[in-house]
Amino acid sequence: MLSYHRPETVQEAFSILHQFKDSAVPFAGGTDLIVRCEKGLMPRPEAIVDLKSVEELKGISRENGEIRIGALATMSEIKRNALIRDVAPALAGAASRVACPQIRNRATVGGNLCNASPAADAAIPLFLHDAVLDLADGSTTREVPVAEFFKGPGATVLKAGELLTAIRFKVPDGIYAAWNKFGTRPSMEIAVASVGVALKVEGGKILSARVGYGSVAPVPMRGRRVEAVLEGEALSAALIGKCEEEARAEITPITDVRASEGYRRQVIGVMLRRMLERAG
Amino acid sequence: MQDKIEVAFTVNGEATEVSVEPFTLLLDALREELDLTGTKRGCGEGECGACSVLVNGKLVNSCLVLAAECEGAQILTIEGLERDGKLHPIQDAFIEHGAVQCGFCTPGMILAAFALLEENPAPTEEEIKRGLEGNLCRCTGYRKIIDAVQAMARGGVAHG
Repeated sequence: MLSYHRPETVQEAFSILHQFKDSAVPFAGGTDLIVRCEKGLMPRPEAIVDLKSVEELKGISRENGEIRIGALATMSEIKRNALIRDVAPALAGAASRVACPQIRNRATVGGNLCNASPAADAAIPLFLHDAVLDLADGSTTREVPVAEFFKGPGATVLKAGELLTAIRFKVPDGIYAAWNKFGTRPSMEIAVASVGVALKVEGGKILSARVGYGSVAPVPMRGRRVEAVLEGEALSAALIGKCEEEARAEITPITDVRASEGYRRQVIGVMLRRMLERAG
Repeated sequence: MQDKIEVAFTVNGEATEVSVEPFTLLLDALREELDLTGTKRGCGEGECGACSVLVNGKLVNSCLVLAAECEGAQILTIEGLERDGKLHPIQDAFIEHGAVQCGFCTPGMILAAFALLEENPAPTEEEIKRGLEGNLCRCTGYRKIIDAVQAMARGGVAHG
């Protein structure tokens, strides 16, 4: 690698990315980037563009009924943030369970999404709140719903020179949301399987449901079949049983170093069932 | 060939400057340029915590931090805990409780305990485990380490 850059504004960042094109990489927490470079899983970039002085990419705020989380918000910041803990505890909880304090103090929500692991801890909690991602490249901006951001393991819809700048979602109102991940140990763990559920219940019936799964598909996945089972219904043991079945049927887990396909199917069903039981 | 950059920061209260390549890790700058070899290279990929230091008051794995990004930073390494030859109370607690065997995890473990106690001077056992969850020890089985940090918590002494 030849050069290290530390732009002070987002426009400066874009111009460096544009100048170096494919051989520049945006650098935030580095907890994925530096590991991949050191292990030779990616070529050392010619330009490393350290975003951490760009104020526009930081901060967690509430404005006009919407929560805005800057892409550079670290897992520690999200975990501790009073606003997020109040309105989106599933997200705060997920952030608090990433790896360990050393990693949480560096890892950013933007980096977690852009690294696009199917196990990304920030993804499913954001699915639950219909979050929208702000992408920009210096001349255009666009919004992408979080569930449409991922194309495959490690792949997103980001174009060359484009940055994820912020994540936004409407302040959740009267929503029960929960998220859990499962692994072979309680820390430093890339999820073997994870599930999130959000329910808006009115008059005993589920008005709307959001379901998401991690580590059981090439991308963080919406549970549309379970959502369809839930919507319009009242929670009951029978309904929950049907959800468990549909969840196991709609996911596409694989067997890998961390777990087998069958185990993942089993665990997803159990976690979803327990989450729905707790919601009732 | 990479052009070297000058990076100025404060380590253990002392202003210093290093000349490093853009991709030089903070871990290597501390060990190789500044001879601060208390910070250890364990796994080199942020999984073991042996390289833990505090940067601007935050516990991080120095194997995942670039020296270049530390311009103006305040860095605390294990060498910075003692005062005038007197060990920090956490270091004393580790010794008293048999929390050190081979000693390789110890610098990172102590700094993790330090960071935990700064934020939470009276952690429960569960909170201690959470605070140290990024630090692996192959020798002690963690019990004595937890005992040492609990002793600090009972004493209510966050720092000397």
